[in-house]
Amino acid sequence: MDKLGQEWVSAAVDGEIDEQMLAELAADKDSHEQWRDYHMIGDAMRGELPKTMHLDLSANIAAAIENEPTIIAPVKRETPKDVKVETKGLSNVIPMFKQFGQYAIAASVALVAVVGVQNYGQQESAIDASPLPVLNTRPLVGSVTPVSLQTGPVQQNQSFTNDQVMEQRQRINAYIQDHMLQQRLNNGVQIDDNSHSELDSIPVNH
Amino acid sequence: MRLILLGLLFLNFPVMAQEAISAKAWLENMSQALREQEFKISLIQLQADHIRPLVYIHGKIADQEVAFLEHLNGPPKNAVRVGQTVTFIEHDQPAYSVAAKRIQGLFPPAFADDFSALESGYQFVLGGRTRLAGRPGQLVRIIPNDNYRYGYQVWLDMETSLPLRYDMLTQDKQLLEQILVVELLVLDEVPAILHEAYKQDWPAVVSQSERDAGDNWKFKWLPAGFEVLVKDSHRLMGSDESVEYIALSDGIANISVYVARAGDAQMPEELVTRNGLSLVTERVGNAEVVAVGKVPTETLARVAKSITIE
Repeated sequence: MDKLGQEWVSAAVDGEIDEQMLAELAADKDSHEQWRDYHMIGDAMRGELPKTMHLDLSANIAAAIENEPTIIAPVKRETPKDVKVETKGLSNVIPMFKQFGQYAIAASVALVAVVGVQNYGQQESAIDASPLPVLNTRPLVGSVTPVSLQTGPVQQNQSFTNDQVMEQRQRINAYIQDHMLQQRLNNGVQIDDNSHSELDSIPVNH
Repeated sequence: MRLILLGLLFLNFPVMAQEAISAKAWLENMSQALREQEFKISLIQLQADHIRPLVYIHGKIADQEVAFLEHLNGPPKNAVRVGQTVTFIEHDQPAYSVAAKRIQGLFPPAFADDFSALESGYQFVLGGRTRLAGRPGQLVRIIPNDNYRYGYQVWLDMETSLPLRYDMLTQDKQLLEQILVVELLVLDEVPAILHEAYKQDWPAVVSQSERDAGDNWKFKWLPAGFEVLVKDSHRLMGSDESVEYIALSDGIANISVYVARAGDAQMPEELVTRNGLSLVTERVGNAEVVAVGKVPTETLARVAKSITIE
């Protein structure tokens, strides 16, 4: 895109452009980055910067424009379904439940900070004597939180091997992360119990 | 003397009744405000040594609730809600949608729901007034009826009934979690970002039909108000371990109970986190019952012990 093109992009961002030019702009993939940059600058000036930064807006906007009846892109209108599927692939959207089997989702919902573990009738000295295994999880903010934990009285006299400690950490992590994820998934279940009519209306709206 | 006592009774009862109603009425007003009003709140969430600044924007478009929650610090981590669909947009994974009434991870979803559902486990009591986020706020305590769950207190904006501060407390008033609103803006119209969110083509709601029905687990004992929400069997996050899963809830507090084959590495009997999340393991023969939730460990231990299969 030349200098004139850049001005187009700028004008389009400001909404000072007619629909035909907008569609031409949309067809030109090179200018999409500029488009996003201008929008970002605009957002920054309006103090709305971070809200849209991570969304792949250009892909979504391209899809929206391609689905609109325009004279510029009639060929693409013939296969609107394909376009849609393609867009979903572009914006990294995979709506299948199997995604939840992946560690990534679990990791991001984890948020753990253990202070201490209650002990049944254990004496202070006994607690001090046994080494505290440390569990690391990734909290929401991205830094690492040390989590200390202690097992029940039975294990305190045993010496853990590194593998056992690691496996225990992983299992605790797995349970806590699963619990956190279930909070997100089960939130909708309550709709089932309380208001069937609301739930029924979901497929209609989408 | 009797007459005086009778008279006192008559005098006292209406006053007490009125207080009880008005505490609940405040909460009901908050619930309505959270569902109906257009607003933007900037807030900080405190959990143990974590402090998170967040922005929450809520409005209504075409009779549907649209909301946006953004984490301001660290890698991008947002959630968008349109109607009964919540989409989580996070830096380390593809966006995904779930069917949900509210965006989870801010105020308890129960705060925008019917407070009558909480009455079997909690009492609502009016507290004092104080200034928060530069606005006058009314305190309402949500006090548990027993020692099996934690308590909550919420300060409501006198003008809009929107929450200005939220505390989650242990029985001995130790703070587990706090949400502090620093700025509340009541909006005249739906902000552009919500219109954009409404127009976006979000991923379809994840299908949960793959969930197995799970075995017929029963509980010999549950704290008053707790009910089974979900039962299934699935594989645990991040491991191949398959577990039987039962979700319990009293409206605010949620407990997850897992039944699994005991692994080589034994789970700790009790684990307490500083934000109130606890984990208790009960070993039964070759099996392990693990209960997780933001309730006292004693509750989890008793729940884990009371599970039976029919």
